[in-house]
Amino acid sequence: MRGNRRIKVIVTVTTLLLFASIALAISIGAVKIHLFNMSEVERSILLHVRLPRVLLAGLVGAALVFSGALFQYVMKNPLADSFTTGVSASSAMGAVTAIMLGFERILPLFALAGGLTGLTAVYKISSVKGRIQPVTMLLAGIVVSTFSSASISFMKYLSDDSVSSIIFWLMGGFSSASMSKVITLAVVLIVSYLVIRRDFLSLDLICFDDMTAEAGGVDVGRLRRKVFFIAALLTAFSVGYAGIIGFAGLVIPHIIRLMRLVKAYELIPMSLLGGALFMIVNDLIARVILPDGQELPVGILTSFIGGLFFLSLLIKRKKELYYFD
Amino acid sequence: MIDIDDIKAVQGDFTLRVKGLTLKDNGLVAVLGNNGSGKSTFLSVLIGLKDFNGLYQLGGKDFNSLSPRDSGRVFSFLPQSVSLNMPFDVFYVVLTGRFAHTDGWRYSKADHDSTERVIERLDIAHLRDRQFNELSGGEKQRVLLARTLNKDTPVILLDEPFSNTDILHQHKLVRLIKQLAEEKLILVVIHDLPLAIREFDRFLFFESGTLSYNVPKAELKAEKLSRIFGVSVKFIKHEDKIFVYTEE
Repeated sequence: MRGNRRIKVIVTVTTLLLFASIALAISIGAVKIHLFNMSEVERSILLHVRLPRVLLAGLVGAALVFSGALFQYVMKNPLADSFTTGVSASSAMGAVTAIMLGFERILPLFALAGGLTGLTAVYKISSVKGRIQPVTMLLAGIVVSTFSSASISFMKYLSDDSVSSIIFWLMGGFSSASMSKVITLAVVLIVSYLVIRRDFLSLDLICFDDMTAEAGGVDVGRLRRKVFFIAALLTAFSVGYAGIIGFAGLVIPHIIRLMRLVKAYELIPMSLLGGALFMIVNDLIARVILPDGQELPVGILTSFIGGLFFLSLLIKRKKELYYFD
Repeated sequence: MIDIDDIKAVQGDFTLRVKGLTLKDNGLVAVLGNNGSGKSTFLSVLIGLKDFNGLYQLGGKDFNSLSPRDSGRVFSFLPQSVSLNMPFDVFYVVLTGRFAHTDGWRYSKADHDSTERVIERLDIAHLRDRQFNELSGGEKQRVLLARTLNKDTPVILLDEPFSNTDILHQHKLVRLIKQLAEEKLILVVIHDLPLAIREFDRFLFFESGTLSYNVPKAELKAEKLSRIFGVSVKFIKHEDKIFVYTEE
C-alpha cells in the first residue's frame, strides 16, 4: 500500500504541473494573453493559435514518449525510441515523399509506411535468434536514419520550391498546429492507449526472456508485432504533424523508471503525462528564448537536452549496453 | 497424464526422438543425460514451445488439438536460465507467475494470496521488496522456483532448479518438491546423479537426442549408467541408503 500512495502522489503532482504548464503556455508568447480579462484579439489568438499549438505539443509529447516506452519493451533496450531506432527518420522520408508527390492530405499514411519499413529493417538487422542485440540496434538505427536523410536530401535537391518549408518542418515544431490535427492525434492516442491497455500485464512478462514469457502464457511474436505497429503509428503521426523531435521518448521513460515506476500500468500512463508536460514546457521555452518574437524549432531544444542525457547514459551504463541482462 | 507414442523434433542438425513414454498423474521424474543430449529440447517439446511430428497425448487428448491457453493451464516451466531487464521487486516477479490465471488485465486477490503463500513456503518472504536483479544467484533461483510453483498446475517442469542453491536450501527444496509430487507430476532436469538417485522415483536418460533408458528407481543398473555418462558409476549400499560413486 505504501507503493500505491507514492504512485498517487507522483501522478497527482505531474497532473497539476501539466495543467499549470498548459495555463502558462497559452498565456505567454509573442502576445501576452490575460486569461481572466481577455480582449477580442486575445480571445481569437488564444482559440485559433495558442490553444491548438499547446494541445498539439502536449499530444505529440505524449505520443512520442508512449512510443519510446513501447520500443523499449519490444527491443528490450533502454536506448530504444523512435529516434534511435531510425523510425522517426524513415517516417519523415515517407512524409517528404508525400509532400513531393502532392499527397499532403494523407501524409500520415506515407509517414506510417516509411516508419514501418525502417522499423522492419532495424528489427531484422539487429535480432539474432529472436534476441535484439542493443549495440547492433543502435548501428542499424543510424544506418536507417542516414539512408532516410540522404533520400530526403535527394528529394529536396530534385524539387527546390518547397525546400525551406521542409527544412523547417524537419527540425520539428508546432507552428502549423490546427484543431483538426489536435483532434486526429487525440483519437490516435486514445485508441492506441486502449489497445495497449489490454496488454499491460503481458508487457511486464516480456521483460523476462522470451522462453519464460512464452511459458508464462504470452504469445510473444504476436504481442511484439502489435506493439511495433502501435509504436510506429504514434511516431508516424507525431512526425507528420510536428517533424522530427528527438530523444523525448528516451529521456522521459528513463526518468520515470528512476522514480521506480516500473510496471507497465504505472510506466505507460506516466509516460503520457510526463511526455505532454515535457513537450509543452520545451515548446514554451522554444517560443520565448529568442528575442523579437523569433522561434527556435523545438526539435533543436529536445535534441540538445536529450543528447546530453543520452551521452550520460552511454557513459554511466556502458556495461549494461553490452551485456543487457 | 503424458502419453508419447513416437515423436520427433528437429532443430538445425539436432534431432530429438522419443518413443513409448507414459507418465502418470503424479510422481517425481528425473531427466538426465550429458550436455547436448536433448533434455532441454524434450521439455520444450512437452510444453509446446517447440514443434514436433508424431503422436503425443496430454491428459488423453491429442496435444496438437489443444490451444496454447489450454496446455498453458497444465504446465508450469522453469527454464535453465532466466533473465529480466526491468527492476521488478521480488514479490512482483513471483506474482507474474500467475499470469495464465488472469483475464490479462489485472492480478486478482486470489493471485496475491497465492503469491503470499508461495513466498512463505520457499523461505523468501524477507526478500519481497528487494529488486530481483540485485539478489545472489541462489536467491534468484529460489524466487524463480517460487514464481514457477505459483502457477499451480498439475505438471511442473524444472530445468536444473538447484543450480547455485546452497545445500541447506537444496534439501528444503527437494522436500517441498517431493511433497508436491504426491499430487502433481514433476519432471526435473538434473546433473547431480547422487541427488537424483537418492530422491527421485523414475528416471529418463537421454543420449544424443534419444530417450534411451526409462526406468523406475528399483530397476536402475550401474553398468547402464556407466555407459550413458561415459564414466564408471558404482552403487554402494549402506544400511537402507544407496550411495553413488563415480570416477573416470
